[in-house]
Amino acid sequence: MSGVIPTVPRTHRARTADGFWRRRTGLVVPAVMLSVGLALIVGTLTMTVPANTAPPGPQLFPALIAAAVIVLAILLAVDVIRRPEPVEVADDAAVQNPSELDDDALIAAVEGHEPDAPVVRPRSNLWALAGAVGTVVVFIAALTPLGWLLSGAFLFWGIARSLGSRRPIFDIFLSLAISAIVQIAFSGGLGLNLPPGILEGLF
Amino acid sequence: MDALVNLGEGFAVVLTPINMLWVLIGAVLGTAVGVLPGLGSAMAVALLLPVTFSLDPIGAFIMFAGVLFGGLFGDSIAGILMNTPGNSTAIAGSIEGHRMAKDGRAAQALATSAIGAFIGGIIASILVVFFAPRLAELATLFGPAEYLALAVFAFVAISAVVTDSVLRGLAALAIGLAISVVGIDGASGASRFTFGLPELFDGIDIVVITVGLLALGEVFSVAGRRGTPDDTKLLASSGRLWLSFRELRQALPAWLRGTAIGVPFGIIPVGGSEVPTFLSYGTERKLDGRRKRPMFGRGAIQGVAGPEAAGNATAGTAMGALLALGLPTSATAAILLAAFRQYGLQPGPLLFDRAPDLVWALLASFFVGMVVLLILNLPFAPLWAKLLKVPKHYLYAGITVFAMLGVYATSGKILDLVLVLAVGLLGFLMRRYGLPVAPMLIAIILGPLAETEYRRAMAVSEGDAGILVSSPISITLYAVLAVAVVGVVFTRVRAARKQKVAA
Repeated sequence: MSGVIPTVPRTHRARTADGFWRRRTGLVVPAVMLSVGLALIVGTLTMTVPANTAPPGPQLFPALIAAAVIVLAILLAVDVIRRPEPVEVADDAAVQNPSELDDDALIAAVEGHEPDAPVVRPRSNLWALAGAVGTVVVFIAALTPLGWLLSGAFLFWGIARSLGSRRPIFDIFLSLAISAIVQIAFSGGLGLNLPPGILEGLF
Repeated sequence: MDALVNLGEGFAVVLTPINMLWVLIGAVLGTAVGVLPGLGSAMAVALLLPVTFSLDPIGAFIMFAGVLFGGLFGDSIAGILMNTPGNSTAIAGSIEGHRMAKDGRAAQALATSAIGAFIGGIIASILVVFFAPRLAELATLFGPAEYLALAVFAFVAISAVVTDSVLRGLAALAIGLAISVVGIDGASGASRFTFGLPELFDGIDIVVITVGLLALGEVFSVAGRRGTPDDTKLLASSGRLWLSFRELRQALPAWLRGTAIGVPFGIIPVGGSEVPTFLSYGTERKLDGRRKRPMFGRGAIQGVAGPEAAGNATAGTAMGALLALGLPTSATAAILLAAFRQYGLQPGPLLFDRAPDLVWALLASFFVGMVVLLILNLPFAPLWAKLLKVPKHYLYAGITVFAMLGVYATSGKILDLVLVLAVGLLGFLMRRYGLPVAPMLIAIILGPLAETEYRRAMAVSEGDAGILVSSPISITLYAVLAVAVVGVVFTRVRAARKQKVAA
């Protein structure tokens, strides 16, 4: 129930962006599913099964799931193509009071009938998203060589920045402090093993 | 009255200063995570899993009890004051709760919610104490075919009956099942979809999945929405902290009705408290409609009381189902199951014989935790709300740091961090394109169980599929499921027709 309740604020001044693909970015989900299905098929066919395995072997369930994933991916793709998202995109403009509308949609969902289709589609801030994802990627790559303290601080700093923090210098000190507190509390206090990296010996 | 003696021994364990401290820490941390928008009790348990590693099992599980219920108490605070429920289970209670807050009755709404959570949780815990051992006996009647029927029931119920778009529910379920087959196959020893990586031999950890799907997915989705206006004005908590006699008289029946609705759902694996909370909301709304002066839409106290009690009642009996049957019926229960396994314990009928001290201490800590939480929440709810004044970008940056720390500390594997990132991106896509998360979690939790039990059943019957429907229990489960599916199809078709007529 969680993912289906529309949380789209309704807005009067909205930017429009039509075009076939722009309203059908949802096709990305069936695309992911198709690749999962193909990976399952390849993996199932190339699986080395030990010789003396009882009849419903390890390949049955993956094969069934692969079939289900692919069929559902096709159905979902058809659904996305036939019922694209609204033309209007949610705007940055201040909205009167979206929560009231949300409640109506919720109540409609509770009572079992479809809520009114949202007039706008959610606007995706791809730069902010890319910033957040990029931060996590850098964190993972840097964790072992640089150690927790620096990479953890970068993680906090980068996510805060991607989510709209406007104080990069203040954030540097804040994130170093948080990362250090975590290091002391978990590594020192609870004995967890966090990678020390280039600052080895300091703690 | 064995149960009372055992429970008494459990209390003796919990009521030591050090264990009381764990309950208190768990309750505080759980509430804190629960208060944060988008994070509920499943996340609280997943994020705090590494904190408990250095504790003995009893201390750890006592703390989990605090965290678990703390998350449930906390998630309604943000819902009532900001209209951003901490968890999908708090949505139903927030609708009227937020209206009460706008009406200047925020403190009463918070009190109603805290007392409701307390009543639902306590009644469910009492039922668990008396019926969990019975349930464990019942579990011995369950063979492979019955467990398979239960898993199939859960899959279909959560993806088709509970979600709005059957297609998207089933898609989420299928992706979850696909993730669940990664790892060494227990029955044959064949390595499946591991790409030769030894890190994947044990499969993908449930902590990785929940943290990725719920925490990182939420952070990415907040990033993706940056710049889009949202109504997250924090309302001040004003009004009396205590309920008047009249309010109590209105809320009490709703608390009890909510509890009655919530209790059975803990044992049915349909993904936690979403269904019962909305059912309770619907019930209260219908009952309210018959009154002379309907309050729904203007901040009805019953609309807060019912769903809150239902949510905690479900969480309570879900713990009973986990302990007695070894069956995780929600994401929270699944993470606790992982925690049990980390300590070499397997929940299920045998747990009551093998580790009675732990089980009864855990059950006793439910009661203690509930009392501690009532004290923490009733007078201090406005203080908790201060947490919501921390700027959003710092809150979510902190969550990300804790999420990555939690995953790395659980396994010590860099690959798990990469997987969390991938699952987080998947979680973002699912949120953006309306795929429900619950079916995917249930698929990952119960998928391996379904496969093992199916193969076990087939091995017993030597390939005769008739064994799957040969017992009254499995036939009943499939029959109830069939009725539910037919019912859903019927009401959907009728609703669609009505809309057509109206349009």
